[in-house]
Amino acid sequence: MAFLEIDQLHKQFGDLPAVSGFDVDVEQGEFLSLLGPSGCGKTTALRMIAGFERPTSGTIHLNGRDITNQPPNRRHIGMVFQSYALFPNMTVADNVGFGLKLKGMTPADARRRAGELLELIQLPDKGGSYPYQLSGGQQQRVALARALAIEPQVLLLDEPLSALDAKIRVELRAEIRRIQQQLHITTLYVTHDQEEAMSLSDRVVVMNKGFIEQVGPPFEIYNYPRTAFVAHFVGQLNVMPVRVVDAAAGRVALGEQTIILEPPLAANGQAVTLAVRPEELELGAAEGHNNLRGLVESVNFLGSIVRVRVAVDGATLSADLFNERLLTLPKAGEAVTINFPAHAAWVLEEQG
Amino acid sequence: MKRGAFWSWLWVGLGIAYFAIPLIATLEFSLKAERGRYSLAAYRTVLSDPQFASTFSFSAGIAILTILFSLLLIVPTVYWVHLRLPQIRPAMEFVAFLPFVLPAIVLVFGLIRIYSRPPFALTNYVWSTNLLLVAAYMGLALPYMYRSVDTGMRAIDVRTLTEAAQSLGAGWPTIVGRVIFPNLRTALLSGTFLTFAIVLGEYTIASFLARPMFGPYLANMVRNKAYEPAALSIISFALTWAMMGGLQWVTHRTPGSTQVTTGPR
Repeated sequence: MAFLEIDQLHKQFGDLPAVSGFDVDVEQGEFLSLLGPSGCGKTTALRMIAGFERPTSGTIHLNGRDITNQPPNRRHIGMVFQSYALFPNMTVADNVGFGLKLKGMTPADARRRAGELLELIQLPDKGGSYPYQLSGGQQQRVALARALAIEPQVLLLDEPLSALDAKIRVELRAEIRRIQQQLHITTLYVTHDQEEAMSLSDRVVVMNKGFIEQVGPPFEIYNYPRTAFVAHFVGQLNVMPVRVVDAAAGRVALGEQTIILEPPLAANGQAVTLAVRPEELELGAAEGHNNLRGLVESVNFLGSIVRVRVAVDGATLSADLFNERLLTLPKAGEAVTINFPAHAAWVLEEQG
Repeated sequence: MKRGAFWSWLWVGLGIAYFAIPLIATLEFSLKAERGRYSLAAYRTVLSDPQFASTFSFSAGIAILTILFSLLLIVPTVYWVHLRLPQIRPAMEFVAFLPFVLPAIVLVFGLIRIYSRPPFALTNYVWSTNLLLVAAYMGLALPYMYRSVDTGMRAIDVRTLTEAAQSLGAGWPTIVGRVIFPNLRTALLSGTFLTFAIVLGEYTIASFLARPMFGPYLANMVRNKAYEPAALSIISFALTWAMMGGLQWVTHRTPGSTQVTTGPR
């Protein structure tokens, strides 16, 4: 039995299903991200686990006990919000100590423990400050400390970094992961930022329109997306409309050109969509690879990566090349050949 | 730039003059009770009149009760509307606006017609008449109280703060008492202050319910005396300012409540 068991959770707002068939088991100490576009139901799912929304059907078990209908203040679940939600009338130390005093800790003990937590989030001298005297990043650290103070069994974070600027976001991201691993606390993290989800999580749950599209480790989600939605939502993707020529041999046609894939494929003559990641494409011809001829549309220098867009028989493909000093960049309008190995491309299932 | 500054100062000056001149004139007049020289005679008369003290303290008492009951009624209601029923906010705004459109005379006639006869018969006793008076003033104060509480709630993202407190193990009494109320303090004080001022000067309802309030006393004074009403106006003006000062003092004593930002900065 998993530490946190979420079973067929369903939530309906009026006629609109917000979350359908949400079914995930989370192990103790695991870091799980819920990733998806806005309105995909990820926040609603999190709020049901926190107890702020009551599921229409389904159950939630935490450490063996059924918490589906328990009020949020008895769940032992910590929560961090996008807007920090620090109590403006209390000092940082009082904010962190709030939950401790409610648990019956003496003010002296609560103060000492709050001090330890401020140490943990690296703001040891801010205990006497009020929230409005802190920067956004500091406020969110305090919110994290406050949620951790009550030693919750599960920590929930609802887009905690979305209100911060890019640099602080990356710093705090690493900080959250460090603290999570140090305390070995089971964590659910809601985000629409795929980079955040990828870099933080043990496993990622990709959601769309209320349904779970795929659950798996970041590497698997990225390299073996199970649905067209996941493939498109996570990372960059090249798509090619092709026709199956010889299913048994794995041969398909992109306009006039032939591509060999790993069989088996759909029936001969069928139109399918082929996908390949930009970093799998290389410039030039290669023996044993699929070689496609095309015209360079544009070349974008992005620093560590150079993105070359090539028009090939009815599809535009991006090739991401690693930058190096000796690289000779093609020019727009130039005829080039690009290649990729057979195993790099896969047939996308129809998007439903 | 200089031209702009000149016009700005002119308008500020005109604004100040508009408020200050009648006040200075009243002050000047109130000091003329004795012929040929300035004196505090009118003030002495007013302050030595036992009716002044009794009506003022009675009105102040009614005002405090009005404030207390208004807060007990409005804060939890507005809190709940913000938290769970945001869709009925327009209806709340409409209701809170009604006392502005409804003349006090209509209100008091309605109240007397309904509550002075059985089954209520509230005007039969002094205490129940006072109750009716408080209820009527709660109505009058509603627009101000509602508005200040509503603004206060909007400034602090009530919903997320409530959820944050809940996730830390707080029950409803703790949330309302330790999170919501303290953060509404500034907003509540401004509503409270306005209510106090309204009740202190109210005339129509007080005189129709025949209670010894400050408003009717002031009106009566105006009818019968020359200098004392001016002195009274100055006194109540000073009291008003003293209360405002008290308000400032109380709100600035708590550093956390002077700047309430919970959102992203």
